[in-house]
Amino acid sequence: MRKVTTRAFAVLLLVALTIAGTGVFIYRLAVDGDDWATFYANQSIYSDGVLNRGSVSDRNGLVLATASDEGFHYADDSDIRRACLHAVGDLGGNVGTSILSMYRADFVNYSFFTGTTAKAANMKLTLDADVCAAAYNALSGKKGTVLVYNYRTGEIICMVSTPTWDPEQGITFDPNDPDYEGAFINRALSSTFTPGSVFKLVTLAAALENIPDIWQQTFYCDGDTIIGGQRVKCSGVHGTITVEQALAHSCNCAFGEIASQLGGNIISQYAEKYGLTTSHMLNGKIPTTAGSVPAGPGQGDAAWEGIGQYQDLVNPYAFLRLIGAIANGGLCVEPTLLYGESAGSVQLMDPSTAQTIAEMMGYNVQYEYGAGTYPGLEMHAKTGTAETNGGTHAWFAGFITNANAPYAFVVLAERAGGGYYVASPIANATLQKAVQKAG
Amino acid sequence: MELVTFIFGEYAPRIADISRYVLPALAVLIVARCIVSMLRERYDPETWAYLYLNGNVMVPLRHWECILGRAKSVDGRVDDPSVERLHACLIRTPEGSWTVYNLGKKANTYVNGETVPVGGAAIQDADVLTLGQVSARFVDLTEQERASLLKYRHAPGRRVMPSVTLLFLTLFQAILLLQHLINDPDAGLGVIMAFAVLATVQWGYFIVLRASGQRGFEPEILALFLSSVGLSVAASKTPDDMLKQIILLLAAIGLYVFMCLWIRNLDRVKSVRLYAFIAAIGMLLVTLVLAPVDNGARSWIHIGSLTIQPSELVKVLYIYAGAATLDRLFVNRNLIFYIGFSAGCVGLLALMGDFGTALVFFVTFLVISFMRSGSFATVFLAVAGAVLGVLLVVTVKPHVVARFETWGHVWEDVDYRGYQQSRALTAAASGGLFGHGAGAGWFISIIAAETDLVFAVLCEELGLITALCCVASLLALAGFVVKNASAGRSSYFCIAAAGAVSMMLVQLCLNVFGAMDILPFTGVTFPFVSMGGTSLLACWMLLAFVKGSDTRANASFAVVRPEHFTGGAGVDDGEDDPGDGYYDDEQGYYDEPDDGYYRGGRA
Repeated sequence: MRKVTTRAFAVLLLVALTIAGTGVFIYRLAVDGDDWATFYANQSIYSDGVLNRGSVSDRNGLVLATASDEGFHYADDSDIRRACLHAVGDLGGNVGTSILSMYRADFVNYSFFTGTTAKAANMKLTLDADVCAAAYNALSGKKGTVLVYNYRTGEIICMVSTPTWDPEQGITFDPNDPDYEGAFINRALSSTFTPGSVFKLVTLAAALENIPDIWQQTFYCDGDTIIGGQRVKCSGVHGTITVEQALAHSCNCAFGEIASQLGGNIISQYAEKYGLTTSHMLNGKIPTTAGSVPAGPGQGDAAWEGIGQYQDLVNPYAFLRLIGAIANGGLCVEPTLLYGESAGSVQLMDPSTAQTIAEMMGYNVQYEYGAGTYPGLEMHAKTGTAETNGGTHAWFAGFITNANAPYAFVVLAERAGGGYYVASPIANATLQKAVQKAG
Repeated sequence: MELVTFIFGEYAPRIADISRYVLPALAVLIVARCIVSMLRERYDPETWAYLYLNGNVMVPLRHWECILGRAKSVDGRVDDPSVERLHACLIRTPEGSWTVYNLGKKANTYVNGETVPVGGAAIQDADVLTLGQVSARFVDLTEQERASLLKYRHAPGRRVMPSVTLLFLTLFQAILLLQHLINDPDAGLGVIMAFAVLATVQWGYFIVLRASGQRGFEPEILALFLSSVGLSVAASKTPDDMLKQIILLLAAIGLYVFMCLWIRNLDRVKSVRLYAFIAAIGMLLVTLVLAPVDNGARSWIHIGSLTIQPSELVKVLYIYAGAATLDRLFVNRNLIFYIGFSAGCVGLLALMGDFGTALVFFVTFLVISFMRSGSFATVFLAVAGAVLGVLLVVTVKPHVVARFETWGHVWEDVDYRGYQQSRALTAAASGGLFGHGAGAGWFISIIAAETDLVFAVLCEELGLITALCCVASLLALAGFVVKNASAGRSSYFCIAAAGAVSMMLVQLCLNVFGAMDILPFTGVTFPFVSMGGTSLLACWMLLAFVKGSDTRANASFAVVRPEHFTGGAGVDDGEDDPGDGYYDDEQGYYDEPDDGYYRGGRA
């Protein structure tokens, strides 16, 4: 009998297998349950394949998208609908990095514990729909992106990408129409562009930390120069200038000389250190596209690399993080799109370097761009005009230090002209609205 | 619905919402109480006779089938060089007479000096049993001794009262009913009647058995818990056709009682085993010939409006015929016959295209054949043979191949091959821990939701907690059987119970993990829960084997009480009187089950 008794333990093997399998199920449910529950067959949250519950609003409670038994609708104002489309997304999931694509479970208020049984809740974003609309209008039909975030709290108050469309109308355009090139991607998160002169901020940081006599050096500019056998052309004739003046004038001759002193490797290392060549996760979930800054092998290529040309490609979101760090004493508060959700922070830059660059960006505005150009804004910025095939990208990146509006921004207008004449007014219009809304 | 509105008025939705949280709490309570009662309470072995070796070393015989010998794994150890490792076997009939068989290869066994023949020899109180050089006096217990021993045996149901657990179960059923009435506009009188009849029958069953002195109810309560969940699934699926479902459930409980009474008598069980063999093979053959092809398998026979799945009933016959008493285990011919029989069953099921059931039989076969032989070699050979067989089935049956191909890829083809399971996963996740409420789900309308995919219905409507409680119920029954084996009377009951719970667990795994895309989808039922009459009948009949393994004092009506018993323990008034025949924690005696000195033995 005792033998048979002992052999009965074979049953426990089946018990163990059952428990193990149940464990696998619970694990998968915890990890993938949000995807399962938000599948369109879930009749608890879909009516005829259309979401019937949940809503997304901006930071002031203005509804950006809402689902109910009456159907799926977006914001009332058509400019706001277009401006917020790439951040919020549409029901068809045409923008892969959007809230509606990445956060469908939160939209319908799913959790492992409640499933989809809890009442629909509003999902609040950090965006300010009015600021987004202002940016959209300021872009006035140009392709590009406007990103604004609070460098103290990380809240993204504006994220606009154009070309865009009205999600309430659906897709009425031909996706192959050149006017709608890249309409389905959020340029702020999923694109990279030649940075042009805004990249001089990176070269400058590298110079401040690696060329001990940078403040003693002077640079001579007579419109162009030969570095490493390559001719580097400048936007003007600047004469003998200091590094501070070089940044303000955005002098290619001076920065080409500085870059060739640094060498391509160091500049690439700084780009990497400042997060320009890595993919980031907005709110730990939405991936961004990594830029690339390959080291120019000779002095000539290094010079072009250091002034943001060569093969440099930069993602606007990654650049916004860098600007945020400069504005915030080197500490980058990670951007967040979800209201009330902090995404942490990282010391991206040496505090004294950040302080120096910040002051120099203020000097740019005082002595080059004109403080009166940005009434009411304590502006610190850098322009960029990136040479590409088919036109120049207009960049304007910087931050304001107004007490109640600590905003960093990146504006890019694709193949639209010069940074100062095209991008800077877009930034001004957007920030005027942002400061007004901040009270 | 009108009734609910009439009673609760505008509060009905609020009450339905609150009840969603009460339901899992009750489920946890019910299952936890049964588990504690079955697995945590004290277990005392029975004692049937003694051997006195060389005058004063006492060996208690705790089973009806005891092996004597020098090996450590035997029931009565005689540690002497002249004794073989497995020397002799003592077997008691249900009537109380003992027979001794010689198992020795070289040495012989003698009763009162006479050699034990091949067919065994009767042995009685005071006879002298000789193994090799060792002589032992065989002592059968007298009425008084048995009565005094029984005083120290512990009966279940004192610390965890079954009546309270049953009360929780009734509450659980009431909440299920309430949720159906609130959530489902189609739920009406039929659903009310079904739950009312179930509650009445379970209390009737409890009162009758409790009045006759029975104290153990855990297996039934767990089965009733699962059946209640099953009734809820039926109420979601076919609220207008509850009469059929409740009649089936009553029939199942009736058959369970019949089976329990039938297996009380081991001689009776043994006498019809051959017919069980024949009936099992016969039913499968008839199915193969008569059944049309449904969903790629010939499993169902249609008689009028009735649909019968004979393979479910064959499960019971398979266990009944496959379990064996110890005397049969020593004859190799019996094992070979059993392997042949099993191969026949699995083969016929494979021919029918019922791959899932074939797998259930095969794993059960592994467990039973291992318990019978203890030989890994036999089991290994069987596995090798089966793997070849499975390959054959897979190559022959395209719908089985398709299911294997879909396995792990249900999200890649959500509207064709992965249709059912992608929706099952969606529904399961949608329910959260507490579910949407009984009758409030959408998944039930998917094909096979009430049978093969029922786990998703449980998760969606009743929540993950209650669904896991259903899984835990069956695991608890398995643990119970393993624990019972240590105090089993005959190996027949140990093997039968182990086989029965193995069958349930394999079905459970194939059902749950198949629906949730952890295993290939094989389409078998969740024991007691899935709709389908034949399956329900079979599960309750299998439960009788579990009940038959329960030898705790006064616990199971499927087990005959020691017949010479005359003590006062049979009729218990529920009070913990000193010396009323139950183990008493505070007094703390009877702590050394192996010393043998508290048993009133004659030294």
